[in-house]
Amino acid sequence: MIDHGLLVQMLIGALLGISVYLPLMAGQLSLATPAFYAVGGTLAALLSTRWAALGASADGRFPLPSFLLEVLLGGVLAGLLALLVGRLVLRLQGIYLAIATIALVEIVRVAILNLPLAGGAIGIFAIPQPFANAAGYLLPALALLALAAWSCQRLESMPLGRAMAAIRADELAARCMGIDTTATKLSAFVLSAVLAGSTGALAAHFLNTWNARQGSFDVSITTLAFVILGGSRSWLGPVMGGLLLTALPELLRPVGDVRLVLFGLVILLGPVLFPQGLITPALLERIGGFGRQEAQG
Amino acid sequence: MNGTSAGPTVPPGQPTALLEVKDLSCRFGGLLALDRVSFALQPGEIFGVMGPNGAGKTTLFNLITGVTPASGGAVCWRDEPITSLPPDRRNRLGMARTFQNLRLFEGLSVLENLLVALQRQPRSSTLAGLLNSPVHRRAEAQRFERAWQLLEELRLDGLAERQAGGLAYGDRRRLEIARALATRPTLLLLDEPAAGLNPTEKEGLAELIEALRSRHRLTLLVIEHHVPLLMRLCDRMAVLDFGVRIALGTPEQVRRDPKVIEAYLGGAA
Repeated sequence: MIDHGLLVQMLIGALLGISVYLPLMAGQLSLATPAFYAVGGTLAALLSTRWAALGASADGRFPLPSFLLEVLLGGVLAGLLALLVGRLVLRLQGIYLAIATIALVEIVRVAILNLPLAGGAIGIFAIPQPFANAAGYLLPALALLALAAWSCQRLESMPLGRAMAAIRADELAARCMGIDTTATKLSAFVLSAVLAGSTGALAAHFLNTWNARQGSFDVSITTLAFVILGGSRSWLGPVMGGLLLTALPELLRPVGDVRLVLFGLVILLGPVLFPQGLITPALLERIGGFGRQEAQG
Repeated sequence: MNGTSAGPTVPPGQPTALLEVKDLSCRFGGLLALDRVSFALQPGEIFGVMGPNGAGKTTLFNLITGVTPASGGAVCWRDEPITSLPPDRRNRLGMARTFQNLRLFEGLSVLENLLVALQRQPRSSTLAGLLNSPVHRRAEAQRFERAWQLLEELRLDGLAERQAGGLAYGDRRRLEIARALATRPTLLLLDEPAAGLNPTEKEGLAELIEALRSRHRLTLLVIEHHVPLLMRLCDRMAVLDFGVRIALGTPEQVRRDPKVIEAYLGGAA
């Protein structure tokens, strides 16, 4: 029932979930993840189809180093954009930040749609493949997820992560304790963007085609649902939510169009039945503090 | 000494004040919450601020720590104007505060509350942290050591793993003090430290503050409603009423000041 292609999609879902979770660690509700995902994906699609030097390989396959370079560049470009935009939008709080980041998603979408190189509404086709089949993407996607999860885990026991947690708990008190809240929030926003950008570059190759709709408002809501269903107190939550909610529509395919209704019900009932998400602090406690900072003496 | 709000409080020739407040005003719409308040803190003294409810005491704290922008006047730190600095920069200069209504990081553990405040003691880079390098681990070890020292000093070591939001009131007050101390301040601002404490805890508070002053070489600015505590504790004090500084001097001078008696007992006295 679950083929390699779906597994890769699920991993991409988990990665985007972590990307939404990172600003939330600092209490910032940013829905900008799809914008950075689109930036990374478009960059990879353009580079691999337009820049011949990247694709020079004897066996006709796209070289792995070029693919990895694109994943890296996708992250860097998205991170730079976040650095520029973050200074402006992170002055906003709560729902205003959410709306500003939705606006960013729309601006990026329309910009890519009108980018002469990016193929307009049709998009970019025949993005070269570094692997023979979908299973090849499993390893890089898993590696990226492991890196993201490990970084989140590390953050919990270092000053940046603690500053983020403090801002989430009480921003004013955090400032009075000497925390540069602007820089901390910006760091979380940039980390989130880097992850989304790299994920986009990976996804562009995996999907084989890329267009502006990949980073739309719908994706903002879907990725937010990953975090809400999974839980926002540990990186395990968005990973869980991303994996489950990406798999669900595919697993429900046999029941036909009812699957959309069922999917909607899950999103609706999830927060009702699990208000803290599937991965709650109490659950983390039971499984031995995994995904949460260990207490040290 | 019991002059009005105008005029410099420190005549030229005196040693540099740690903190000086000059003609500080704060206006909220039509309300003048602080009206040209001036005083200066000498290093090492305990300075009290008292006044009836709504006199502007907490507003004064918010202006000094940068939480609320001043409408007029200046705040100087060792003779340098800092009126436009944000709260985090002021904290890094060496001022730390507690809050009247307690603002702990409630979802975090007691120990984590201190680790947040210790993040610059010592500094270590984000990259070192992500890689868990030896530099980072040494810095972490120092932070934990310092955190445990403070926890023991404020008798919170038994509660280190508890969530801050679930502590008893007195413990929370002490945790706020510990958290402020973790940022290594030279000036500690306490906003009604005795509020909500039981009589025994109130008794211990004066000794605690005295002990903290000598151990951490602190200058203290204390807002307090509990007048006996303030009288016993302070080297000097200022009295605010309706945003105006109506008195300044030693507790003995302030106690006899007719304006203070009037403010506390009403105009008829």
